[in-house]
Amino acid sequence: MFDGFFLLGAGIAHFMSFESLFNLAWASLLGIIIGALPGLTATMGVALLVTLTYGMAPDQAILTLIALYVGSIYGGSRPAILLAIPGTPASAATTLDGYPLAKAGRAGMAMGIATTSSGLGTLVGIFFLALIAPWLAEFALRFGSYEFFWLALFGVLISGRLTALDNPIKGYIAGILGLLFAMVGMESLHAHQRFTFGMQQLGSGIDIIPAMVGAFGFAELLGVMKRRFVPEIIESKDRVIPRIGEVAKYWRTTIRSGIIGTIAGIIPGVGEDIGSWASYAAARRKSKEADQFGKGSVEGLVAAETGNSAVIPGAMIPTLTLALPGSAAAAVLIAAMYIHGIRPGPMIMTENPQFLYQVVGMLLLSVIAITIYGLSLTKLLVKVLVVPREKLMPIVYVLCVVGSFAITQRMFDVYVMVFFGLVGFVLREMRYPMAPLVLGIILGELLDVNLRRGLVVSDGDLTPFFVRPISAVLWAIILITILMSMPAVSNRVGAMVSKLFPGKEARTPNG
Amino acid sequence: MSDPQTSTDPEAAANRRMPYADLIAGTAFLVLGLVIIYLSWTMPRLEMRGIHPATVPGLVPGLLGIALALCGAMLGGKALVETRKLENGWQDFGSMFAGTEARRFAVAALISLAYALVLLGRVPFWLATGLYVFAFIVAFEVWATNEPKPLPKSMLWAAVQAVIVSAVVTVAFERGFLVRLP
Repeated sequence: MFDGFFLLGAGIAHFMSFESLFNLAWASLLGIIIGALPGLTATMGVALLVTLTYGMAPDQAILTLIALYVGSIYGGSRPAILLAIPGTPASAATTLDGYPLAKAGRAGMAMGIATTSSGLGTLVGIFFLALIAPWLAEFALRFGSYEFFWLALFGVLISGRLTALDNPIKGYIAGILGLLFAMVGMESLHAHQRFTFGMQQLGSGIDIIPAMVGAFGFAELLGVMKRRFVPEIIESKDRVIPRIGEVAKYWRTTIRSGIIGTIAGIIPGVGEDIGSWASYAAARRKSKEADQFGKGSVEGLVAAETGNSAVIPGAMIPTLTLALPGSAAAAVLIAAMYIHGIRPGPMIMTENPQFLYQVVGMLLLSVIAITIYGLSLTKLLVKVLVVPREKLMPIVYVLCVVGSFAITQRMFDVYVMVFFGLVGFVLREMRYPMAPLVLGIILGELLDVNLRRGLVVSDGDLTPFFVRPISAVLWAIILITILMSMPAVSNRVGAMVSKLFPGKEARTPNG
Repeated sequence: MSDPQTSTDPEAAANRRMPYADLIAGTAFLVLGLVIIYLSWTMPRLEMRGIHPATVPGLVPGLLGIALALCGAMLGGKALVETRKLENGWQDFGSMFAGTEARRFAVAALISLAYALVLLGRVPFWLATGLYVFAFIVAFEVWATNEPKPLPKSMLWAAVQAVIVSAVVTVAFERGFLVRLP
């Protein structure tokens, strides 16, 4: 039992060096700046930074990526409060109460509360990461081909369902497209080349990093430049550092939102935005000042910021133990881990147990970094918000191009980036979520190989896919997910629930 | 309250046009799904190698093709029903490609594509990057905007930024990250 504590201590102590602290300092600050700039997202930042970490030692590379990830999710709260424009989708719920608070002359307090809530949310998530991940990794050792097939399918479907609440079919289509992209290139069972159309470069498949850089970088650029952006910032004149009483007052909301955010993180491909909205909705249901939500409620702000930040450590749980990305940015982290010779998955606690605790250490240090920056660099971050997009975006695109090229130093990867940028832009404009697409690309091989391997083991018999206990649970959830996304079914279930529990109304995550 | 069928609010206009985009996309996904089913069906089954028939390479792509075709049909079908309720919808949908936003998108896309697909590899990286940054800034400050800046001023500052970005990226990647640039 004490092994865990020793490993945790060693994980934190591992980064107590000048090099680590230096990398932590610049990466978390860069993350906050990326998050603060509307149009630049955490996933894009992480994807771009991966291309710059090839030469680093694996632990330092992952440290910088996680610090940037934590920083950018937090950084999105600044424009949400000062401009009413979320810096990243994760901060959309922050806008609801952050901006009214700023308009009421409490911008400093709102920024301070957002900072402490982000820190506390990440801490709640870290607690569950350290608690659940080792157990889950051990449990996942029981998984065979049948379970991994369902797990991959479950990941893509649940992500598609929860990231496209208005029209789940679009979420499913995005997931299927991702899975189909993963089918391109040489399959690993019989070394047969699929869908390469004679193009030699496609033989090794589509590299996830240029694809992500395109879908989250170039596509963002096109989306941002399409719309005009005129920043109208609210000045902050009040105190930024919150009083302990202001933070402690909402401890119940903090813990509840932290747990909800962690759960949202554990669900594959469901990102910080869903964690934030779900926490916000739950806080409003439980709050004594529910009528103040949306008008400048501090509790609403606490819920939104705690919820989105807790998703990050939560997302690391399936990422590390099942190699199943908990969010879009975590998908990039998986790719980065493979590049640096770290193999996430059930074997992690056997092959590399110290790494899991090092991730805990990285997250803890990142929390400290964002708290210090958040409470001190108010003026610098305000200046960042007004950087004209026409001056910023060409730099981003140059980095997209060079970053994609740098991986294997071939122009083909630049073309892949451009292709995914254009496809990503069109899909976003038509309101298709990107997370299931990314999850599909990452999980495609897992799904393909495990379905066919399972069929070989069972000699073509499908029964084991349905009767093994873990498989049965997974396919049942998948079936319920699909059925509940059909309006005819969900309406009937809703009617039955309201008959059984009169007075309780179903609510949407943002409702 | 404004009528959602005629409102010029961007959100309302996007909602109004979405069924048409969904109809086109649904049809495209249906066709793509069918093409994938065909390609998967005709994919070699490697009988000569004596592989298990349940592990043919086309199995999973074929199943995914079926799923895509089904989802495309459902999306397109639902959109078709919705479009029938709207008047002058196709005309309204077409107007989306002629507004300011479309122009700004076209400028950003064309300049960015010209840089990645035409300039890179044909001219030195530093020059291509400098030209791209310069052209992008000037285009958005002078032409693709409602409040144009004076051309000489925009060109001067764009040139300064182009030189800095080009030099920093070239030196950082070639010397720092040891990347052979295109």
